[in-house]
Amino acid sequence: MSSGDSNPAATPIPCEDVQGDGRWMSMHNRFVSDSKGKEPDVLFVGDSLVQLLHEFEVWRKLFSPLHTLNFGIGGDATQHVLWRLSNGELDHISPKVVVVWVGTNNHGHTPEQICGGIMAIIDVINQHLSQAHILVLGVLPRGKSPNPLRERNKRVNTLVQDKLASVCYASFLDVDPGFVHSDGSISHQDLYDYLHLTPQGKIFLKQWF
Amino acid sequence: MSEEENPAAEPAPVQDVQGDGRWMSQHNRFVQECKDAEPEVLFVGDSMIQLMQQREVWRELFSPLHALNFGIGGDTTCSVLWRLQNGELENIRPRVVVLWVGTNNHEHTAEQVAGGILAIVRLLHTHLPKAKIIVLGLLPRGEFPNPLRDKNLAVNNFLRASLPRVGPVQFLDVSGGFVHSDGTISCRDMFDFLHLTASAYSKIATPLHELLLQLLEETPQERRASLV
Repeated sequence: MSSGDSNPAATPIPCEDVQGDGRWMSMHNRFVSDSKGKEPDVLFVGDSLVQLLHEFEVWRKLFSPLHTLNFGIGGDATQHVLWRLSNGELDHISPKVVVVWVGTNNHGHTPEQICGGIMAIIDVINQHLSQAHILVLGVLPRGKSPNPLRERNKRVNTLVQDKLASVCYASFLDVDPGFVHSDGSISHQDLYDYLHLTPQGKIFLKQWF
Repeated sequence: MSEEENPAAEPAPVQDVQGDGRWMSQHNRFVQECKDAEPEVLFVGDSMIQLMQQREVWRELFSPLHALNFGIGGDTTCSVLWRLQNGELENIRPRVVVLWVGTNNHEHTAEQVAGGILAIVRLLHTHLPKAKIIVLGLLPRGEFPNPLRDKNLAVNNFLRASLPRVGPVQFLDVSGGFVHSDGTISCRDMFDFLHLTASAYSKIATPLHELLLQLLEETPQERRASLV
């Protein structure tokens, strides 16, 4: 997977305002403005799994003390994050670490394409922030029972982990503490809608950070 | 507008386009909860309801009232109607039902959305004739003034006018204070200009909790009545 234009997951594109209240652009603009005014040591970027971290105790306890900015937007796929990072969200800041958590919303893309999208994101970050270390978090399993998306996400993680082995400025971190039980099920106590973390599920992130 | 003509009043399950069957899994879990639980209060609706359960305010104020939460993110009046007709009201006799839905009805006009909410209220009355119902008004959304704000306001106005005629239903508008004088909504209240932060949930929980306590006091428990 070399060419960006043949991979939809690696082709930067903003989210279209289909609903009519311009929320995605509002959030992007706020992040651009944040990056002009703030000096974070750590930057989180990605989808709702990143965004929701900010809304719970875990952020205040673990990440706020690290001077962290949260540029997560619910629903974002790799191509949206790529666009945001290429359009102002990385300007004027020099965090030491950038945490990337995205990929689960890339519906219709193959694991290879999604991996390509994530690698394109790492590329853009490295171009803007040559001093930063990038931490790519593994995409979590989803759905109450075994399903194709779990297989897809697993494959994405394998591909990304493989690729990152030869990248010195980035590493892969598997943050799944074992959400899938021996009977193949995921509990709503960990992922309340079988996709998003409960406050309890977020506690598992503690051990990684 | 009759329910037969209103697409927002047509029960319909959510199609599994993504491939992990999460909507049906959540519905099935709620049906199962109906078999085991004896809730006094039932919360039903979209993510505004669902996310409430992930906040401290649920543990502090609503859990102690023996409440069940049947919220699913993304739901419209159509999917809530379908869920309630397909098992989520079986075997339970809550004394109060809290309904919060409508902001995701993107294909429908304000009048249709209000009609869909009324259809849900009528369904609840049929299944739970002794229950009191609280319908929460739709919140404004988006950082700046936009058509969806106008639409949600219009839905609320339709509801205010038509709910009193439907029976023991309370319309509760908790939108006050979210839109500032310059027309903006702050990300401190709605982190994505749609969903509520913890502090915003605490703000709206107070009047809701007060109303719940009042209604619970007024509505006799069926168990007690049958002992007399």
